[in-house]
Amino acid sequence: MEYAVETFSLTKIFSDWWGRDRVRAVDGLNLKVRYNEVFGLLGPNGSGKTTTLKMLLGLLYPTKGRAVVLGGDGADPKINARIGFLPEESYLYRYLNARETLDFYGRLFGLAAKVRKMRIEALLDMVGLKAVANRPVGTYSKGMARRIGLAQALINDPDLLVLDEPTTGLDPIGTRQIKDLILELAKRGKTVLLCSHLLADAEDVCDRIAILYGGKIQTEGKVKELLQQTHKTQITADAISDTAVEKIKQIIQQEQAKCDISSPMDKLEAFFIKTVSSAEHQAQPTGGAVSTTHISSFLVPELSTGDILDKLVSTPVSSAPASSYRLPPRLPTRGGAAGKTGAGETSEPADRRPVEKPDEEMLSKLTKPPLLLSQESTGAQTKTVVNPVRYEKTSNGVKDESHPSEGRDEQSGTKPVVPQEQDNSSGCSPAQPEKDILDQLTKDENADSEQIDKSEAGDSRDV
Amino acid sequence: MYSIWAVATNTIKQALRMKIAVVFIILLVVMLPVMGLTTTGDGTLKGRLQTFVSYGLSLTSFLLCLLTIIVSIYSLTSDIDQRQIYTVLTKPIRRYQLLLGKLLGVTLLNVVLLILFLAIIYTLTIYTPQITCANEAQRVQADNEFFTARVDLRPTRADVTGEVLTSYKKLHASGQLNEMFKGMSRKEIIAQLTYQKKLQMRAAAVGRDLLWEFHNVRPIDPNGSLFIRFKYDVSGLGLSAVPIHGRWFVGDWQYIRYGVQGETPIYDHVWSHSTRTFHEIGFSAAVVPKDGHLAVGFLNVPMNNTVVIFSEDPKVLYKADTFTANFIRAALLILFRLVFLACLGILAATFLSFPVAILLSIVVFFTASFSSFFIESFDFLGKDLSNIYRYTVRPIILLMPQFEKFNPTKFLVTAQYLSWFSLSKVGIWLVCIKAVLLLLLGLLIFSFREIAKIII
Repeated sequence: MEYAVETFSLTKIFSDWWGRDRVRAVDGLNLKVRYNEVFGLLGPNGSGKTTTLKMLLGLLYPTKGRAVVLGGDGADPKINARIGFLPEESYLYRYLNARETLDFYGRLFGLAAKVRKMRIEALLDMVGLKAVANRPVGTYSKGMARRIGLAQALINDPDLLVLDEPTTGLDPIGTRQIKDLILELAKRGKTVLLCSHLLADAEDVCDRIAILYGGKIQTEGKVKELLQQTHKTQITADAISDTAVEKIKQIIQQEQAKCDISSPMDKLEAFFIKTVSSAEHQAQPTGGAVSTTHISSFLVPELSTGDILDKLVSTPVSSAPASSYRLPPRLPTRGGAAGKTGAGETSEPADRRPVEKPDEEMLSKLTKPPLLLSQESTGAQTKTVVNPVRYEKTSNGVKDESHPSEGRDEQSGTKPVVPQEQDNSSGCSPAQPEKDILDQLTKDENADSEQIDKSEAGDSRDV
Repeated sequence: MYSIWAVATNTIKQALRMKIAVVFIILLVVMLPVMGLTTTGDGTLKGRLQTFVSYGLSLTSFLLCLLTIIVSIYSLTSDIDQRQIYTVLTKPIRRYQLLLGKLLGVTLLNVVLLILFLAIIYTLTIYTPQITCANEAQRVQADNEFFTARVDLRPTRADVTGEVLTSYKKLHASGQLNEMFKGMSRKEIIAQLTYQKKLQMRAAAVGRDLLWEFHNVRPIDPNGSLFIRFKYDVSGLGLSAVPIHGRWFVGDWQYIRYGVQGETPIYDHVWSHSTRTFHEIGFSAAVVPKDGHLAVGFLNVPMNNTVVIFSEDPKVLYKADTFTANFIRAALLILFRLVFLACLGILAATFLSFPVAILLSIVVFFTASFSSFFIESFDFLGKDLSNIYRYTVRPIILLMPQFEKFNPTKFLVTAQYLSWFSLSKVGIWLVCIKAVLLLLLGLLIFSFREIAKIII
């Protein structure tokens, strides 16, 4: 069993009432997802992503072809016991509260009451819904419903996590948490198959991606290989003097290459998180006791930062070009928070405007792979030096070598967490509390039983 | 099993929290006591009790039937419509387990609600004699004719087919047949003759007597009472009720028939009763001989001066069980209906949308409630296209359950004994065969259905 998910010319044709073929949603799909891999299924709306996932899980029957999930049939309860699935929207029972919802799904797995309780509490903590766990799910906002949907998918500590648009409806912090979570899970040996059209999200977490169009795979491969610009070099350094810059320019000119020198830009996502977490810190004394963990407490400031949220969420793709400007992780000190904020403020209007237009261009490129490839190959052959600034504005999916988030090593299976939280979060590190919870959730049998032993020691010893 | 149970409890929560069940519960909890305290019936204690039990049980049964249909259908169709089923079916649960879980949930809800409402009805019924100012005679009547469970025994009837065939042949030979029954087929003529013959056997000319024999009369209490239930008809006296005098004999059949003196006493009394309504005559159970072979005789007293016809054969009634036991069995009868309707609802929900499934189930429910009317009317309409009708519509109608045939109200109001035997017969037919067939069909459809496919 080499692959966690493998499909053999999987085809789905939706026919109308008379039996005439209407839509060829998935067309001869040969998908291969390796174990312990984060695989992204990308594509525009209606490209067959969700249909593929539903066929994998037995919710739809393939017209032709076959799908093997974890070495078996995706509709088989034995296989299902090892899968966590988050559908395109969180379809929940409105009348249950968060705790009951998770309890219901936990009982479908036949989890013992104590294990169930432990996991439910940990998951509620992780998705930040502990404070509202007794409210009916029907009263939740879309993002909150998404969180509980994700918790539901993790209740059984799945080996394979199938996520359909995991970040829709989530605020940037929630998005970020889910991305961190996916990386953490991958670190722990889980396989994740996600489909999304939020490219920035996919780019940050996926090892490999496949781009679907018209139900067919247009491009498939490692994110790193697909996106790396081999004809360019990026050097990032601490702030240096103008004379040093001039020297560097000279050296580059000797190499007969053009260059552009500027201060690197913060990724908008990182900037947002930084802003919100500092607001959170200020609000804490007045906010009262919500929850001690970082994850659950941010639901309070989420309400107060509505305008920032609006700016960010409405342009989700724009965070991709920003990634090119991201600060390198190991930079020890920078101009301070004020300086960074200033840079962000001044450059934002100028940067955001051109981004609007390339969006469409980029999408068309993504869905027409020959174009994308030819562009890359011509660039490599002629060694034409392109002005980096202009290039980055027009092609969003471009990254460079020094980009930290893609430096993940597949062989060793260890992935450095996306760097921003280490240097940007002032006093508040999002990954830290999450790891403890994850430890609880993703531990193997012994660890689980250990937990039970601990909890049992209090009330019953004769077990 | 744990997954079935999880689905079942979720279904119950849904029914309660989505306030589907709550509406019905409030309606019944308010209406039943109000009905219990305000009904008067025909003024007597028995009449009041009968009215309350009749309306209370019918209402409870009707509302629970509707609730069952709605909950069983809504529970599944809303899962499919609102797509919670995506997250449920991708968990380690088989599709049949999901359906069984829904069925279990609906059934448990029904059992609890049925117990609740019937407990209300039972309590009110039991305490009604104490809160009313009924006189002693009315209480005795209520005890004898309501707070009991009586077997009604039909007389053993002589086979008349031989006689009918002989008279048919006679008429045929004498050539009177065409004259009397113009344009009728042989089968119809035989049926007509049989009817006439039976009517003859229930008619007594002035001064003549009629005799019925009952086998296996076994009252549980030898000191208790036996009853004869009958209705007089007279020929040619218009529609108004007239008093009829009759001399009734009850006792050992050998004495009444042949005058052989037995060990048991003989009941002999003249009564006057009006025509066109049912009457009961009560007497001591001591008249029943040991072998349980009882005879009942009626003598048309000359002062009537008319032919007395019984609209049907009289029945002998005697207490065979307590009211409480009969009440419990009647409750089970309602439960059988509910289980059947739950299976029907689940079947409908596997392939229909909510409104269509509701419509289908309610049509079936009403057809079942008025089954004999439907069968008769279809039989009548289908006469001309006999073969087509016989092999298409009729089997479908016969597959429908016949709720009215085993109406729990009917048993309790007339204090008719509902035996465990007939109860289990209904149970086997309605639940074990018809409901299970529906459920299996539902499971079959559901397990092959593409859940995520949107059908417009």
